[in-house]
Amino acid sequence: MLVLGPVVVLLLLIGLLKAADQGKQELNVLIADPGQIMSHRLMAQEEQQIHYFFIDDYLELSEFEKGKAYQEFDVLLELNEKVLNNKKCFVFFRDQLGLDARMQLKFQVERRMEELIAAQHSNLTEQAFRQIKQGFIFDFRDLQDPKNESKEANAWAGFILGAFVLFFVALYSMTIFRATVREKSNRIVEVLLASVKPSQLMLSKILGIGFIAVLQLLGWILLLGFGFWLLQETIFLDIFDPSNWGQDAPERLNPLSALVFEQLPFASLIVHFLLFFVASFLFYGALFAVLGARSSAEADGQQFLFPLLFLVSFGLFSGIYAIYFPSSTLTEILGFLPFSSPVLVLIALAKGLGIAAYTNVLLSLIILLVCAFSLLGLGAGWYRKSILKF
Amino acid sequence: MIQIAEVSKSYNRKLVLDAVSMEVNKGHIFGLLGPNGAGKTTLIRILNQILYPDGGQIYFEGKLLEPVHLRQIGYLPEERGLYKTMTVRAHLLFLAQLRGLSKTEATKNVDHWLQHFDIQGWQLKRISMLSKGMAQKVQFIAALVHQPKLLILDEPLSGFDPLNVELIMNEIKALKEQGTTIILSTHNMKSVDEVCDYAALLHNGKVLAQDAVQQLRRAHSKGLIEVRFKGNMLSFANALWTDFTLLSQKELEEGFFECTLQSRGGRKLNDLMRSLQEHVQVEHLSQIQPSMQEVFIDLISQKAAQNV
Repeated sequence: MLVLGPVVVLLLLIGLLKAADQGKQELNVLIADPGQIMSHRLMAQEEQQIHYFFIDDYLELSEFEKGKAYQEFDVLLELNEKVLNNKKCFVFFRDQLGLDARMQLKFQVERRMEELIAAQHSNLTEQAFRQIKQGFIFDFRDLQDPKNESKEANAWAGFILGAFVLFFVALYSMTIFRATVREKSNRIVEVLLASVKPSQLMLSKILGIGFIAVLQLLGWILLLGFGFWLLQETIFLDIFDPSNWGQDAPERLNPLSALVFEQLPFASLIVHFLLFFVASFLFYGALFAVLGARSSAEADGQQFLFPLLFLVSFGLFSGIYAIYFPSSTLTEILGFLPFSSPVLVLIALAKGLGIAAYTNVLLSLIILLVCAFSLLGLGAGWYRKSILKF
Repeated sequence: MIQIAEVSKSYNRKLVLDAVSMEVNKGHIFGLLGPNGAGKTTLIRILNQILYPDGGQIYFEGKLLEPVHLRQIGYLPEERGLYKTMTVRAHLLFLAQLRGLSKTEATKNVDHWLQHFDIQGWQLKRISMLSKGMAQKVQFIAALVHQPKLLILDEPLSGFDPLNVELIMNEIKALKEQGTTIILSTHNMKSVDEVCDYAALLHNGKVLAQDAVQQLRRAHSKGLIEVRFKGNMLSFANALWTDFTLLSQKELEEGFFECTLQSRGGRKLNDLMRSLQEHVQVEHLSQIQPSMQEVFIDLISQKAAQNV
């Protein structure tokens, strides 16, 4: 699990990053235009991902597929001589085209067709027509964030990290629950309680499992960090090589790569990830230990697990709310609640925080720790009363 | 060694122990007896500081019982429990160190007891692979691996075959010889007869009787006498006169009889001897003491009759 987990995460990341790249693939399109309808011209493109070439004759598919002269072309677009009337054409591709590429190809060819139809039926010049067809730019912006500094992608990255905190907390807290139930059901607990206090027994279980959890997380962080570095140096090297940028910055070449490798403050996120994980684990660990002490068998405790797991899920829902309503009062309150603060703090850190706002992070952590220690104290009493009841 | 003074304990308003007082002397084996629900396990858990009394005090070697004394107490609970995935050796080392032994001391003691019980070959086996009897041997070792001054055994013989019962009983006696004080809670009255010096009988949270085992048996004696003699049965019967009642007779061989008599009017063995010596040749004459089982049943029945 220590190695398998990071490997799975890295493979998922590669998949996502590759998917983000798919729409940006460069294509060489050969347009077979026997009627010379397009006059070897298309609209000017902002993005030079699709390169168009023209031949003035039909081309056999087998020739296109196997002919040496045509191997450099990825797509064959066949325009019949009556395309302006029947508005039908065929597009043959070597490799599956991404949705983005299909949309661009369709848009550009359609626009040229419109120009030609407009020229047939009106006195509009090409330039006039293009001006008419030029779309309006609607820039949607949050009133709370008129300069569009919300960094939503960063927020979602922070949310994922926060979700990981809650996931690991739930996972290891379940281990505490099962270990407590097992000790109780096989009656070893009576021998143990003759040597140590119930509170010591409960705390040792929480701290022992917590220590293993932190070790595993550190292992994950190291392996993932190494994996990220390796990806950046190998598979995604081209994106970060300035000689490949042209007019584009890395975020325009592959925004997801740029987010992962350039924009997220990983050092800060990792430190706070660990701090909030430990504090949340202590908080939930006490609850799960008490639940285990009250159950004679795992099946008995299952019915009471749902409310606890719901509390964990509450943190996730709070995170989603905070992304869409970052400046609301409720978001501010949720940032201090022990159930939701890990997710909200990591979202805020991923977006970048000023020093003034960091005091809220510290306050959230202090509140979470105070609640955790209080619950450990209360939990010890409940644990003591329940552990020997069968 | 242990003084229990007016200890009371309630669960949800149900009085489980009602001002229980008893004293366990050093170097003795003390039987803690009682029917199910009498409060024995609760008292034992209080001695082990797993539970705390609602009232009363407990003294260990003259000082109020404290957590630090746990290192001198060994406990074998009635409900056995071990970590199934641990090996025998690892488990014993773990429990020994939990009781305050250093790793070196724990290793030495574990090796000694494994050898003593002849289970060194099993030390690297997981607990889940052991038979029930073997697992209980491991638990027994776990209770005394740290060489406690006081050993509390709750039903130590349950789950053992007759050979292992014998083994454990011998071990208990050996521990007593070495000076260990033992509190033995059991329903096995034969073992109480065999090893216990003192006994206390609990019933509904109260102490019904507490004394040396021999005293308890004598106090509940029904005046039964066993006689073996050579001679004539008729002469024997005539010699009894009205002082003794013949309850049973058995001819062991020709002219050799074994009889059970009930004393009447407080007649003693000397009286019987004087009555018989001119009529038959007495080979054996002894008072039949009731077993602790009979004492136990007698006391409970008396208590039940009083409550009615």
